[in-house]
Amino acid sequence: MKKILYALFAILAFSACTEAVSDARQEASLPRIYPDYLGVTIPVNIAPLCFSMADEGASRIEAVISDNQGNSLRSQGKESVNFGISDWRKLLSQNQGDSLGVTVSAKFADGWRTYRPFPIYVSPDSIDYGICYRLIEPGYEVWSKMGIYERTLSSFDERPLIENTQFEGCVNCHSFNRGNPADLSLHIRGPHGATLLRHNGSPLTAYNTKTDHSLGFCVYPYWHPSGRYIAYSTNATSQLFHSADSNRIEVFDTASDLQVYDVEKNELLLSPLLKQDSVYETFPVFSADGRSLYFCAASALPEGSHQLDSIHYNLCRIDFDPATGSFGSLIETIVDAASQSKSVSFPRPSYDGRFLCYTLSDYGQFSIWHHEADLYLLNLSTGESLPMTEANSDDTESFHNWSSNSRWMVFSSRRDDGLFTRPYFCHIDAEGAVSKAFMLPQRHPRRFYQDRFLSFNVPEFVVSPVRFDGHKASRIINDESRTNFGVRYDNEN
Amino acid sequence: MKSFRPIYTLLFGVAAVFFFGLAYPHHLHYQEQYQLFLFDSAYVWEIVRLPGGVADLLGRFCTQFFLFAWVGALIIGVLLSGVQLLTSRLMGKGWLYGLSFVPSFLLWLFLLDENALLGGVWAVLLTLLASWDFDRLPSGWLRRVLLVVAIPILYWMVGPVCVVFFLLQAPRPKGSAVWYYGVFVLLAVLLIILSHHLPVPTERLWFGIHYYRYPTVTPVLLWAAALSVFVLTLIARACHKWANASSGFVVTLCSFLLVSIAMGCLVWKNSNFKAEKVMQYDFMARHQQWNRILATIKAEKPNNQIGVTVQNLALAMRGVLVDHLFDYNQNGIAGLLPDVESDATSPLPTAEAFYQLGMIAVAQRTVFEAQEAILDFQKSGRCYKRLAQTNLILGNYEVARKYLKALQKTLFYRDWANETLPLLGDEEAIALHHEYRSLRHSTYDEDFFFSDHVTPEMLESLFFSNTDNRVAYEYLRAYYLLTGDRESYAKLLLRSVEQ
Repeated sequence: MKKILYALFAILAFSACTEAVSDARQEASLPRIYPDYLGVTIPVNIAPLCFSMADEGASRIEAVISDNQGNSLRSQGKESVNFGISDWRKLLSQNQGDSLGVTVSAKFADGWRTYRPFPIYVSPDSIDYGICYRLIEPGYEVWSKMGIYERTLSSFDERPLIENTQFEGCVNCHSFNRGNPADLSLHIRGPHGATLLRHNGSPLTAYNTKTDHSLGFCVYPYWHPSGRYIAYSTNATSQLFHSADSNRIEVFDTASDLQVYDVEKNELLLSPLLKQDSVYETFPVFSADGRSLYFCAASALPEGSHQLDSIHYNLCRIDFDPATGSFGSLIETIVDAASQSKSVSFPRPSYDGRFLCYTLSDYGQFSIWHHEADLYLLNLSTGESLPMTEANSDDTESFHNWSSNSRWMVFSSRRDDGLFTRPYFCHIDAEGAVSKAFMLPQRHPRRFYQDRFLSFNVPEFVVSPVRFDGHKASRIINDESRTNFGVRYDNEN
Repeated sequence: MKSFRPIYTLLFGVAAVFFFGLAYPHHLHYQEQYQLFLFDSAYVWEIVRLPGGVADLLGRFCTQFFLFAWVGALIIGVLLSGVQLLTSRLMGKGWLYGLSFVPSFLLWLFLLDENALLGGVWAVLLTLLASWDFDRLPSGWLRRVLLVVAIPILYWMVGPVCVVFFLLQAPRPKGSAVWYYGVFVLLAVLLIILSHHLPVPTERLWFGIHYYRYPTVTPVLLWAAALSVFVLTLIARACHKWANASSGFVVTLCSFLLVSIAMGCLVWKNSNFKAEKVMQYDFMARHQQWNRILATIKAEKPNNQIGVTVQNLALAMRGVLVDHLFDYNQNGIAGLLPDVESDATSPLPTAEAFYQLGMIAVAQRTVFEAQEAILDFQKSGRCYKRLAQTNLILGNYEVARKYLKALQKTLFYRDWANETLPLLGDEEAIALHHEYRSLRHSTYDEDFFFSDHVTPEMLESLFFSNTDNRVAYEYLRAYYLLTGDRESYAKLLLRSVEQ
């Protein structure tokens, strides 16, 4: 009886909120929806793709999603369509490897219009549990409220891990080992500067990563697949502003070096090959097998020079022996971007060893502020680099990361409004075919992204919820006690 | 003679209104420009989800009216009078009546500080209101149950100032002190548990999250005001026979006058009129009151950084900067366009000068950074408006739209946002707009890098990319004069004659 009453109530509530799509004008065009989900490939476990009409003149929107087996989902709303999570999951699981058809109708002042249906492809490749990112206003030197947040990808839940309301400073450079939050590196800037490290689920420890033998604090962390090492760069970073250019700012290094931290021995491994005065080395990452260290390198500018557009970073590689923590004796150029007057940043090898994704911009290393920056995919077996055309846009694509199964990529893009970065996802299949990217789903996407004056910074996949006690972490940060990094020189080079 | 008491309260309230309306109006403008009250559920939730959130929300709601100083002064007058009335009720009758003004005067002193937030005053008022309501309840189990329920609710509404409510109830459950203090221990345990789940340092849960703009500062005057109510009620109870013996008109008037004169002098002495003057210059620059600025500097030459920056901007806007440069105090070239500091206040007048000069990207960055530097992480209506304008001028319409959409959710910036939204992407309409057309025309053609320090090359590039830019011309000449660069000055005159 109760169930019948609930069902009746639900029907009544639904009918009170919906309107029949009547006398709809059939449009030959595809609908313009926000976010643009037309023809995207999605993982089977992604949260519902709710969307609005891009044209705010629409007073109602209805979407019917149907599969080839006769199942369908319908949603109607004033601002956006909103599918129930359980119905959505069921439909997606029934259509793994298949496509869904989406028919959109919208009501305008002159009545309803029904648009040409568009497909959504459901990949059987699942995506990781969630992503972590920093939320921050796209600023320059001063920061306001910010924090590191975790977002579940199969729902709309977002939770803060730590916010700078808990301590005085800025939080950045969060990094996990292949999405495993048991290995974590997190950097704090400001009066309580520190690097928080957790290895294999151990308690957090605050380190002072600045040594007498390095340029400054260790940044841009990347975990070795074994979890024993973390590659860092140390950068003397400056910024200058454009007076009349579509790019607002240039963030650049006047010096930068690389080092690898041995977590077990508490030693920073240094090599003269990776700290040359005449070269800017940055963004170190380990290869999937952990036997190579990829990084970006550019010839240093003469002191005092501001010819920033002449700084071009190549993608380079050096051998790394995980058993001894020693480096090879030869630096190999993998992508010679400088010869094309281009610059590589943010190299990220896939965990299955097939590809390496990087950002290519006109010059410099901080492609985040370069509107022309695009993503490229390097096939590590053929050495061929191709632009990820389906995923790229006319605006900035910059930071990116692979899912643990190396089939999905999350990247930040400014394509939405030219300033605030949003997370996008694309699928990369076995042959390296890249799908059209889709924006991180939200329950009310237009309202959500319009009201949020924050950029999604450094999106990283996580394979499970991050166990992080923000209260305890802030106590550690506010405490003055820091463990100093030890130093070991690689004498073989 | 109880009927005279409302008159005393009224006199006090009127005095507060006149003080803030006449002597301190720009402190109110200052407060308003460092917050952006949005009629938006997400914004409200962000505030009320923390202890003290309701008081904070009410404070922010009222602060938006500070855009109009007299309305702000009226609000403050009413709030302070409310605190006095409730204190008076809690203290009871007698010649100690005049002391009931002490908490309100302490709050007045608290509000003299430009970083004191109105949410703190609301917290005290709501606490006293709850205490007064509670006093009217009959003693018994119902009262005890309500006390247990009321304390956490009140804590969530007003924050730790609610401890005054607890203290004011202390004498009531006679003979059941253990039970009563048990409630206090329960609250303390609750706070310790809470501290693990709220994104604020533990000590803020004990001393207040948002009573003061500096997150790490405990506002002593606010706490003194709140606790003084408890102390005064204790005094009133201790002396009730003696105090109530005489409550005639003359005695009451005398106690009122005594406290008012003493505390009034304290208020006057602690008022920061220098800061008020600086804020006045900033206010006049914000509203582009160039003639008023000229009249003000004529009456009294500014001797502070912001005043000199605004003075020179007004002179340049009226095309008389070089003619009168040395009639006023100067601070070298820093008096023209000072280096931008990383605080929320000093960069704004400089940003106004950048904007009027046509250095739109520089103005945008300066305003953005100033807003980021607001200590309690709030946003600013003034900054949002300017960011919308600079993005519009630079053709970043989607970013401008974002700011304008937010301003549509405000009470006092909505109309402007509604008027400006249709301009986005409409090049013809922008070309007809007097301000945006001329600023687009004045801005840089040539791209170069700059840092925090304005150089003569930046002004030269600005002027020579558009020689109709008279503000840039004035600034450039003034720059040469202040640096004693006669050669460049002569060359500039020659070049401008040739062109």
